[in-house]
Amino acid sequence: MKAGRPRHIGARVQRFEDIRLLSGSARYIDDVRLPDMLHLMFVRSDTAHARIRSVDTSALSDLEFPTWVFTGKDTAGLSMKAHQDYPEMQYSEQPLLAEDRVRFVGEPVAVVLAEDAYKAEDAAEHIFVDYEPLPVVGTMEQARDAAIPPLFDGWKSNVIVQRQMKGGDLEAAKAAAAHVVKRTYRTQRQAGVPMEGRGVVARYDHSDRVLTVWSSTQMPHLVRTYISEELGLPESRIRVVAPDVGGGFGVKGQVYADEVLIAWVAMKTGRPVKWIEDRREHLIASIHARDHEHTLEAYVSADGRLLGLKADITVDNGAYSTFPFTSAGEPGMVGKVLPGPYDFHAYEATFRAVATNKCAIGTYRGVARPSAVFSQERLMDDIATELGMDPFEFRLKNIIREFPYRNVLGFTYDAGSYAESLERMRKLLAEDVAQAAASHGSRTKRIGVGIACFIEQTAHGTPDFTRRRVPIETGYIAARVEMSPDGEVTIDLGLQNHGQGLETTMAQVAADALGVQPENVYVRHGDTLTTPYSVGTWGSRGGPLGGGAVHIAASRIADKLRAIAAHLLQARPDEIELADGLASVRDNPGRHIKISRLARIALRNVDQLPEGMAPGLEAQFSLDGPRDGTYSNAVHAAVVEIDVPTGKMKLRRFVVIEDCGTILNPLVVDGQVRGGVVQGIGSAMFEHFIYDGECQPLTTSFADYLMPLAPEIPNIEVHHIETPTPLTPLGAKGLGEGGAIGPAAAIANAVSNALGVNVSATPLNGNAIWNLSRHLRDAS
Amino acid sequence: MIEITLEVNGVTKTLSVEPRRLLADVLRQEFNLCGVHIGCAHGACGCCTVHQDGTPRLSCLTFAVQCDGASIRTVESLGGPTAEHSLQQAFRSEHGLQCGYCTPGFLMTLVPFVDEMVEIGRRPDDEEIREAMSGNICRCTGYHGIVAAVRKAIDDGLGEGSVA
Repeated sequence: MKAGRPRHIGARVQRFEDIRLLSGSARYIDDVRLPDMLHLMFVRSDTAHARIRSVDTSALSDLEFPTWVFTGKDTAGLSMKAHQDYPEMQYSEQPLLAEDRVRFVGEPVAVVLAEDAYKAEDAAEHIFVDYEPLPVVGTMEQARDAAIPPLFDGWKSNVIVQRQMKGGDLEAAKAAAAHVVKRTYRTQRQAGVPMEGRGVVARYDHSDRVLTVWSSTQMPHLVRTYISEELGLPESRIRVVAPDVGGGFGVKGQVYADEVLIAWVAMKTGRPVKWIEDRREHLIASIHARDHEHTLEAYVSADGRLLGLKADITVDNGAYSTFPFTSAGEPGMVGKVLPGPYDFHAYEATFRAVATNKCAIGTYRGVARPSAVFSQERLMDDIATELGMDPFEFRLKNIIREFPYRNVLGFTYDAGSYAESLERMRKLLAEDVAQAAASHGSRTKRIGVGIACFIEQTAHGTPDFTRRRVPIETGYIAARVEMSPDGEVTIDLGLQNHGQGLETTMAQVAADALGVQPENVYVRHGDTLTTPYSVGTWGSRGGPLGGGAVHIAASRIADKLRAIAAHLLQARPDEIELADGLASVRDNPGRHIKISRLARIALRNVDQLPEGMAPGLEAQFSLDGPRDGTYSNAVHAAVVEIDVPTGKMKLRRFVVIEDCGTILNPLVVDGQVRGGVVQGIGSAMFEHFIYDGECQPLTTSFADYLMPLAPEIPNIEVHHIETPTPLTPLGAKGLGEGGAIGPAAAIANAVSNALGVNVSATPLNGNAIWNLSRHLRDAS
Repeated sequence: MIEITLEVNGVTKTLSVEPRRLLADVLRQEFNLCGVHIGCAHGACGCCTVHQDGTPRLSCLTFAVQCDGASIRTVESLGGPTAEHSLQQAFRSEHGLQCGYCTPGFLMTLVPFVDEMVEIGRRPDDEEIREAMSGNICRCTGYHGIVAAVRKAIDDGLGEGSVA
C-alpha cells in the first residue's frame, strides 16, 4: 500500500492545536470541575523507612467542616503489581496506601477529603502517623551489602533482579586485544518534571455503574485496564479521559497507584473526587529517572578495532516497581542498547536493579539510553585518547556501514546514516576543533568539543516486549478514520497528544491518503470512549506507528472512494487519483468528481453506489511495531567554554545531525529535537535529585531542583538526513526521545577535551567543573 | 472573609474571599479563566503570570486580597479565542509552544517586553530576549521557538526599515 505523491507529509504545516493552547482555551486536568466534587489531599510519609505504629484520624472531628478519610486498612489488598516474568526477580508490590510499613519519603499513607481544596489541606494536618523508624538502604553499595536486611519480607537481598545478556566469544576478544580500557561511569538521579504536574478526577455513577476517570496520563487505555483488573469493574463501564496534558516525557507514561485509588475513593464516597498534585509531591513521589552506574571494559586491537565489550550495570531503583515497565526495564535497556552503532562481535552485560528507600525509577525521555550513551560515548573518547586517535577517526573505524546489520545480541538494525552523519559533523565542527586545540595551552580559558554518536531503537513492537516478558505486553497503535457525508474526516487516534503535534501531523498523513486538505481532518484522542484500544504515547512511536496506522486506515477509505469514483466516471479504480478534494481520471483530469460528493453517495445517496457495495466510509487499523523496532540515528556535538579561574562553563554551540527516516512535519521534528536536547542539557549540567544519608529528599522545589532556563541555552542547530525505513508504512522512524539521549555524552566529552581530564560522572554543574579544572588553577 | 473588588479582562466582580486565597485560584475559579496555570505554586516557573495594573505578576505568590481595586489581565484578554495577538501568532509560526502549559505565562511575561521594544524602536539580540524570559520555565521547546517568536513579533511590530 504505497502513498500517492505526498503533498502534506513533509510540509511545515503550522499546528492546529496551537490556537486553543495560545488563547487559554485548552482544558487540562485542573480545569475539570464537577458538581458536588470533593477535593482529596494525601498524607505522605515523612520518613524513608519505618513501620507504621498507628494512624490517628480522631482530630478530624475537631474541624467545623465535613471530612472523609481513608487509610491503608481501608484499601488493604489493593496494590500496584508490576512484575516481569523472570524467575529470579523479587516481587515488590506497592499498596495503594501504606498499611504497616513505608519505604520512601512521599509514600501515601492516608487520604483526606473535603469540599474545598484549602480545607482538605487543613484536614491533612489533623492526621497523625506514628512511625517506628527502620534503618535505611540509601545507596547502591548498601543495597548490595548482604548484611543489610531487605526492604521486603521474604526477599533474599536488596538486589531486585540481576541478569545477563551476551553474544560472541568475549574470552577470545580479550585474548586478542592489544588494549584493555576499563572505566566506571555514573549518571545521577533526576526527576522528569512536565510543567503541569499530574492529577486525577473520578466520578462513579451508581445507577448505570459507569466509572469515569480523568487523568493527566499518556496511556488512558492502560489506566482503564489496570483499574478494571484491580477494582473488578468491567472495562466496558470504565471511561478514562486524558484531557489536554501539559507535558509528559514518560513521567505520565506509567499507571500510578493514585489513579486506581482515586477511582476507588469516588466509588466509596459516591461523590466525584479531585486530586491535583502539587510540585513537592511531584518531585518526591511521581517517578524518578536515571541513577545508573556502569563499569565497562573494552577490548581493542592494536590498530583501533573494537573487539569486545564487557559491561556491569547497576540502577538504584528505589523501593517499588512501576507499571508497566517494571524495575527490570531500566537496567535491562542499558544492557540491550550498549552495543550501539559500532561493529563488534563479543559482548557480555550483567545488569541489576537494586532497592533503596527512594522514589521508584520509571520511564523518562530516553529511558536508560541517556545513561547508556553517556557511558558508551565517554568510553569511545577514552579509548581514542588511550590509543592516541582522533575521536572521529576512532568512531569511523568502528562504525557500522552495511545494512541491515545484525548486532552482537541478534538485533537487526535497518538502514541508517551512521558514517555519513559523523563525516558531516566533522566538517561542521572543523573550526571549533581548531579553536579548542588552540586554547589548550591556556590556564584561563579553555574550549572543548565533544560528540556523541548513537542509535535509538524506536517503535518497539510486541515481539520486543514478549522477549522481555514485561507487563506492557504489546506496542501497537490503532487509528479509526471516518469520512462523514460532507467529506470531512475524523481520526480517532489511540495515541494521546501532549505536545507532539499529533493533531496536525496525523491530519497531514490522512490528507495525503484521501486527497483532502489537513484542515479537513479533525483528530480526536485521549478518550477511551471514542478511541480504539492502544498502548498510548511513549517509546517514540507516534510518527512511525500512529502515522502508519492512520495511513493504512485512510488508504482503505481511499480505495473505496476510488471504486465509487471509477463506477461513476466509467474508469478503472487504478486510474483514479485523489487530490485537492477531487477524484480525477489520470491523464484526463477533466473527468472528475468532488470527493465530498463521493462521501455523500457512500453515506446517504447509497442507491448510486456500485452494485453490491456496502454503505459507509470508515476503517480502523492497529499497527504493531517491527520485530526489532526501527533504528533512528544521530550525532550530537557540544562546544563548551570554561573560565578556569571561576569554573564557569558556557555552552557555546550545540549541533544535532539526526536521521528519523521520513519527516512528517519539519516544524514538529525540529521542535521535538530541540526540546529533547535542552532536557538532555539539563541532565548533563543542572538536574540532580538529591537524597541525604537518611534518604530525606533535599531538592523538593524548583529553587533546589534546577532545570535549564533560557539564558543558559544556545540556539540549537539541527540538520537532517532522511533514510526512510522499509519497516513502517511511511518510512518514518521515531524521534520523540532522541534529542534527550546525546547531550550528556557530548557535553562530558567536550569538558574532557577542554580540560584534558577524564570525566566519569554527571551532572557537570558549577561545582563539578570547579573540581575538574582544579589542576589548571593549582599549576598556575 | 474579606470583601474585594477585582476588574478582570473587563469584568468587575465583588467577592468575599479568605485572606489566604491565591489570586490564581480566584481567577481560575471565580472568573473561570482556565488560561491561568499553576506550575509550581512557589514562584519559580512563571506559568501563572498575569498582569496586575499592567505589570506582570505571579498569581501563585499573590493573595487575591492584595489586589482589591486592581485591574487584572490574563491570557484570555490578549487575542481572544482565536489567539489573534501578534505574539500569539508568532508563537504559532515559530513553534514556540508544544504542550502549551507554560505558554500563557510566557505570553504574559513577554507581551510587555515586545511592546516596549517596539515602542522604543529597538531590536534586542537573542541574549537579551533570553534574559527577558529567564523567570519562566518551558520544558518542551528548549526555548528556541520562543526566542524566534519574540524576535518575529518585534520585527513585525517595527516593520521593515523603521530602525536605523
